Amino acid sequence: MFSAIAYRLSTTFLEEQQVCGASSSAMSKKPAAQPTLHKVIMVGSGGVGKSALTLQFMYDEFVEDYEPTKADSYRKKVVLDGEEVQIDILDTAGQEDYAAIRDNYFRSGEGFLCVFSITEPESFDATQEFREQILRVKNDESIPFLLVGNKSDLGDKRRVPLDACRERAQAWQVPYVETSAKTRDNVDKVFFDLMREIRSRKSDDSRTANGNVRDKVKRRKIKCAIL
Amino acid sequence: MGPPPVVTGISPKEGPPGTRVTIRGEFLGISATDLIGLKICGCDCLLSAEWKSKNKIVARSGPCKGRGDIIVTTKSGGEGTSTVQFRGYHESVGPMKESAVWVEEAAPPSVPWGRRPMSPTAYTPPDPLGLSTEGDDCKFPEEELHELFPDGSGKLSDENFQPGWYLLEHHSNTSYEDLKAGMIFLQRKVEGQKEGQLSFLKANTGAVMDQLDRLVLLKNMYEEDHRKNGREPLPSLQSAIEESISLADSLFSEILSRKENADNTREALSLLTRHKFLFQLPSSIDKNIKKKEYDLVVNDYTRAKNLFGNTDVKLFQKILAEIDKKIEELKENLYNRMKTMPINVQEQTKYIRLLISLNWEGDAAWTAILSRKDYLMALMNKVKDHFKQKEEQESNEKGRRRARECDWGAWRAAWCGAACGALAAELHALWPLARRYFAGDLAGEPAAPQRHADLKEMIIAAVESFSEQMRACLLVGGAGSGAGGAAGGAGADVLRARLVANLRHLRDAYDSLLKLDLPSQPLSIVEKVIFDYRVHGMTVFLQRAHKRVKSLAEKETWKIEEFSDYGAITNLPHLLETYMNEALSSIHKCVLNSGRRENPLLNEGSEPSAALQRHTQQILLAYVTVLRELALHHEDQDFNNTSLSVALDQRLDESCAGGAGGGAAGGAGGGGARSWQQRLLIAGANAHYTRRLTLNNILEAFHTYGLPKPTQAIQTTKDALSTLESSIAETYLEHKGDPLVGTIEPSMYMGRHQTDAEALVDDARPYVYEIINNLIAVHAEVDSVCGAASTRYVRDICETVCEELARLAACAPRHAAAHAAPAAFQARLEYTLLRIAVAEHLTRKAENYLMEALAGLPPLENEEDKKRMDNIIQGFKKRMELQLASLNCNMETV
Repeated sequence: MFSAIAYRLSTTFLEEQQVCGASSSAMSKKPAAQPTLHKVIMVGSGGVGKSALTLQFMYDEFVEDYEPTKADSYRKKVVLDGEEVQIDILDTAGQEDYAAIRDNYFRSGEGFLCVFSITEPESFDATQEFREQILRVKNDESIPFLLVGNKSDLGDKRRVPLDACRERAQAWQVPYVETSAKTRDNVDKVFFDLMREIRSRKSDDSRTANGNVRDKVKRRKIKCAIL
Repeated sequence: MGPPPVVTGISPKEGPPGTRVTIRGEFLGISATDLIGLKICGCDCLLSAEWKSKNKIVARSGPCKGRGDIIVTTKSGGEGTSTVQFRGYHESVGPMKESAVWVEEAAPPSVPWGRRPMSPTAYTPPDPLGLSTEGDDCKFPEEELHELFPDGSGKLSDENFQPGWYLLEHHSNTSYEDLKAGMIFLQRKVEGQKEGQLSFLKANTGAVMDQLDRLVLLKNMYEEDHRKNGREPLPSLQSAIEESISLADSLFSEILSRKENADNTREALSLLTRHKFLFQLPSSIDKNIKKKEYDLVVNDYTRAKNLFGNTDVKLFQKILAEIDKKIEELKENLYNRMKTMPINVQEQTKYIRLLISLNWEGDAAWTAILSRKDYLMALMNKVKDHFKQKEEQESNEKGRRRARECDWGAWRAAWCGAACGALAAELHALWPLARRYFAGDLAGEPAAPQRHADLKEMIIAAVESFSEQMRACLLVGGAGSGAGGAAGGAGADVLRARLVANLRHLRDAYDSLLKLDLPSQPLSIVEKVIFDYRVHGMTVFLQRAHKRVKSLAEKETWKIEEFSDYGAITNLPHLLETYMNEALSSIHKCVLNSGRRENPLLNEGSEPSAALQRHTQQILLAYVTVLRELALHHEDQDFNNTSLSVALDQRLDESCAGGAGGGAAGGAGGGGARSWQQRLLIAGANAHYTRRLTLNNILEAFHTYGLPKPTQAIQTTKDALSTLESSIAETYLEHKGDPLVGTIEPSMYMGRHQTDAEALVDDARPYVYEIINNLIAVHAEVDSVCGAASTRYVRDICETVCEELARLAACAPRHAAAHAAPAAFQARLEYTLLRIAVAEHLTRKAENYLMEALAGLPPLENEEDKKRMDNIIQGFKKRMELQLASLNCNMETV
């Protein structure tokens, strides 16, 4: 009896993976009357400033005191290149305690801001793991993704060389932007850039429903050149 | 209305009930009070909501399950919307899970969230993969599972079991390696089942054999049992069980019931001790009421009401009802006490406060004020009745009328004192009470508009009743029967002392009222009473003086006190002055002085001032009347003419007549019984003296005592006195002069008037001497009494005499047709002699009369006659020197 169950389980598992991807894309299209919704997920180690960036973007507010996030959700309307869209930001927990639940969140994300602190090399190292996890969950090399070096206002305490950052972004073929949640430097830029990528990605998807991986890679290369 | 709130952010976006949630957005209210609603997933979380800014609210999630909006409602923006959602889930805590939630050991099954009960039906089979799911608290969203597997189920035993669901639900976080291991585990289990029974038996031969042996043994035992107990082993078992049950019952029922009893008792005891306060309250209330510790009662009652007022427990309600009854009784009691007079104001206030704190429905303070006022009125009436009764009692005893009159003043004084005391004391209590009442200290409805008016009316009524009573007591009675009693019975000192005492009572009362700061109206009433009483006092003194003056007549002893410039006077004018002085000084001492805030007694043109004038005038006129009565009252004694030598007696002894007159005058000077004409003269002198001196003295006394001068009264009196004087003079003249004049003619014609013409005339006829003697007698009498004023009388009489002579002279020619020369000579001689004798007293009129008489005579013809005349005159002068001297002198010259 168990064997039968297990068998069925193992076979449907693979099917489900495909269905999941399909359904998530179908879901994003669902609110027809509402403006297009872009789902952004903030990832990165604890204390690098994910929440600070989010709150600065959402409410123009800089929060000094540190309170570890579990999982916060924000959503508001913005005007992206003349078009009104909705941005949904999922601010995740950076602490390792919550690592187990990340997969669930990542699954629904359409774009990722991978944040580290330029004053903290460990957080920079951790970006590697986040990148891998995202790619594993999304199973997509060309998922919209920005590498963000935060706390650029603390230039004198910088411990992650700019070159290393650029190098890694180059390796991943993603843009690298340095921000400061405190001074609001480049804050809007990272969110809007990511939304633009998500948008172009979506329009591509709708055009070529079954576009192959190579096409996507090619397209991303072109974008990088623009940047 | 501002824009509606929009929630755009939630942190965190999911959590178990009680999660601290930070809600961010726009227009979340302009202040903490603006926020009037917060719902997270449909659960009202307003209670825990903490408004931070218009963009931020911190709250705690409620016991909601599933995903839902966060709806913020504000006064300024209404109900809002949400762009983000919160998901509530119920955490199940296993034994190995670290948890901040305290797991209650005996968790009731009704707890809506928490550990699921471990009943067999809900038993979850062990993981088929052999993997632990412990610690994997992150649930794959259920909604998404439903979306993924629309017809599926995650339960292993269900028909529509979906392995994908199961794996996502339980192993969404399991690593790939673990899953592979699980797969192998599952496969091995399946393989193990597939290998068949033989291999199983082979592997477990020993155990199987053992089992078989046991089965055989079991069968044998069963058969033996069957044989022993028959086919049905159950009945015996059943009976045994029943027996044991009944035994157990019998053994334990008593203990159990006892335990139950004990439990009940213990419970009841603990209840009693816990609510000891309440249960003891009725008795403690009784005790405290008995001890008059009302404050304690009120405190206890309030506490009990606060603690148990809303209780649903029957017992408590019963006790509370009992307490309420007691409190009602207490209230009634307090109320009655508050109303029962007499009571001092502190105590009354205390009762009022207690009543207020006990929620007395009525306006306690107002009732107190009313009852106080009633009491005051009743007290007044009582005082009045008491004294009225006493008075009647006294007056019934007619036999002791004298005593009554003596006591009367004392009664009045006592009455006055009592009434004053009552009024002052009661108003002292009433007024502060009222003041506090209107200040709002004593609850009630002091704001009610007619209350003020009522109070004022009350006080005025009380004061008025007091004033009426005082009037009845002091003024009416005093003016009526009292005046006689006071003036007649009691001496002046007693009267004055009473008056002063009464006045002092009144003033004390008035003073105490002044201190109370009463409104001016009642004060003025009392002041009026005092004023009237003072006027009354003044009147009494004056009336008394009046009476005494009236009775002066009895006091007249006709004893001459002194010879003043205006003649000999008795003590009458002095008595008058003394009486007036006494009255005035009494007035000055007793009533003239004004107390605090009293009107001066004798204002210019005021009523009392006029009364003073009037009374003064009355007194003085009474005096005049007395004088008149004294002077003209003579029915007991005819005009005594003994001093006149009556010519009709035909006795020519002049000296005898003169001596008789002198003796009479001398006797009158020393004796108490004065002849009437002397009295007349003395009265005249008195009148004169009074007019000139006494009245001025009285005027001076008025001035000295600070009273307005009764100039008009004095003037009237002066007029009356002069009238009296002249009338006295007239009377005297009438009674004295007429007989004198009447004697002239008869004596003239007596015998020798018709003298023969030839007879030589060598002397005047006797009638001339008689006239002169009579005049001397009159002069002596008048002079002895009137002194300097005597000339007037003498002159008048001379005038009359001259007139008579002139008349006789005019008549003479008719009697003697041809006047003989000697007759004419004689007449001339006589007239001349008379003229010489009374020369001092001749008025112009009298002179004229004489000249007229002389003119009617023929002049002397020859020298011889003239010579003879001169001789005769010289002789006359020489002879009559003494008489002439006595006629022309007066007291002073002698």
